Amino acid sequence: MVTKSEEDQLNRLEAQVDNAGGGAWEYLCLVRKLKVRRPDKVLKHGLAILNDSKKRSALGTEEWTLCEQVAVAAMDCQSLDVAKDCIKVLRKRFPDSKRVGRLEGMLLEAKGLWAEAEKAYSSFLEDNPFDQVIHKRRVALAKAQGNITTAIECLNKYLDTFMADHDAWRELAEIYISLQMYKQAAFCYEELILSQPTNPLHHLAYADVLYTIGGLENLQAAKKYYASTINLTGGKNRRALFGVCLCTSAIGQLSKGRNKEDKDSPELQLLAVAALEKDYKQRAPGKLPLLTSALKSLRVSS
Amino acid sequence: MDKFRDCGDIKKDLRYLYTVQFWVFLVSRNANRGERKSRERERGAMAEDLVLDTAIRDWVLIPLSVVMVLIGVLRYFVSKLMRSAQIPDAKLVKEGQVIVRARNLRAAANFIPPKSFRARRLYYSNEENGLLYVPKGQAPNAQAQMFSDPNMAMDMMKKNLSMIIPQTLTFAWVNFFFSGFVAAKIPFPLTQRFRAMLQNGIDLSTVDVSYVSSRSWYFLNLFGLRGLFSIILGEENATDDTQRMMQMTGFGFDPTKSLGAEKDGLDIVQHDWTMPKFERRAEAVLRKLVR
Repeated sequence: MVTKSEEDQLNRLEAQVDNAGGGAWEYLCLVRKLKVRRPDKVLKHGLAILNDSKKRSALGTEEWTLCEQVAVAAMDCQSLDVAKDCIKVLRKRFPDSKRVGRLEGMLLEAKGLWAEAEKAYSSFLEDNPFDQVIHKRRVALAKAQGNITTAIECLNKYLDTFMADHDAWRELAEIYISLQMYKQAAFCYEELILSQPTNPLHHLAYADVLYTIGGLENLQAAKKYYASTINLTGGKNRRALFGVCLCTSAIGQLSKGRNKEDKDSPELQLLAVAALEKDYKQRAPGKLPLLTSALKSLRVSS
Repeated sequence: MDKFRDCGDIKKDLRYLYTVQFWVFLVSRNANRGERKSRERERGAMAEDLVLDTAIRDWVLIPLSVVMVLIGVLRYFVSKLMRSAQIPDAKLVKEGQVIVRARNLRAAANFIPPKSFRARRLYYSNEENGLLYVPKGQAPNAQAQMFSDPNMAMDMMKKNLSMIIPQTLTFAWVNFFFSGFVAAKIPFPLTQRFRAMLQNGIDLSTVDVSYVSSRSWYFLNLFGLRGLFSIILGEENATDDTQRMMQMTGFGFDPTKSLGAEKDGLDIVQHDWTMPKFERRAEAVLRKLVR
């Protein structure tokens, strides 16, 4: 996860570079370290460095990592000629490299030649069945072709061996949600919470999924997870606040007939409503009446 | 991940090799000089305090440390060059990941609902096909496997060689050139038992045990330069001899034992769902926010 300070640094460098203030190389290094996706900027500034022969020779051996970064960014922006040139240069320099082979596979993918890309990746996997990145590229390939079931299969097989890879679990959860297989998505989110218990995003997503599945027990659990998100973010996450209100009203609706066993739920909802109103007043006072009417309709039903 | 390599690395190694050779030549020339001087002083002052020639410090202690640092760096680069691409064993990789996952489960068990925790615990420690369950027969396989697998044996031998040969050579060189005189004084008093170990070049039995020969300086450097290497060479370096020696005695990575340990740990865990507590805490947070 990118921390706040790193994000600030990134934005600052971005602004500096955009205004032609230099520092392009630091910006590119930071992007590479944080693994953020900024293809257009990387392409523009990276190409500027690569085409200027003086700056290029100043980089020394780092020139090749920059070349790789620019190739990937070019493929992201669909400028395949630039990508092809970069890869050709890399291939000339490192004729036997698997890393360059991977880039060539990605270029085939970007061009839409699925069968060739699949063949290339399978041959890589034969040489080294433990290359995690190639496995993930295969999943991406299946997903791009629209074969979601194949993607799920590949991802499950990958997770069978590499079960500590939390990025893969997150990808699987999102795929399941897109297919409305909520119970499996809930399982994936539980894995994510287990590996990173202090990350509020996982709690939030898990609560969303539980709320969507429905049922009294799940709604109560969802409310608890929204509360933990509020706890972890210091009350600043508006989605969690809304979630708390919705959950409480839904629970109230479901348990209308039975005795009210909820301990202090009305307090939490009232507090969440108050926090939301305060937030809206500060940031979007025009929408405040909308908010109040929506919340009132929730409270009526509870 | 394979790195982009080129001839620059090999040139660096050759440069270090020549530097080491140059130092060896220079130091051995002057070691004899220091030896003669300290012998004269010793005969003169048999009393409590021996005055050691500063030439000893200049031509024995410092060069010895410098040579050991250089040899360590050389070994690091040689081991990087010699390290063959290890094809990880499928079972080992999977077990490693299982252990990480089980450990996560144990650590964060209180964050997931009790039902899912129980389901996962069963999944891991189920008698027939649980992930962590190791049937008794397979447990002692690790040792036999180590010896029978030729690749692993070659790797271990390579690692051992890269550690033993430089150590032996340096030790022999120290003994040959730097023996027979007092090199340093240890600042705290020692008992007589250490005499055999620390003073073996010095043939006088009345010299205080605190005055040691260069062999002890060699051993001191051997263990002490580990910290320096981790600063210069980064965390993972082949010069971490003592750590490797400790690992060897435990026969390295023994997955079956750690699986059993994880399973026991998991059985012990009591699930205490922290979510209700979080609800109350969230209220407090919001109350503070709203105020």
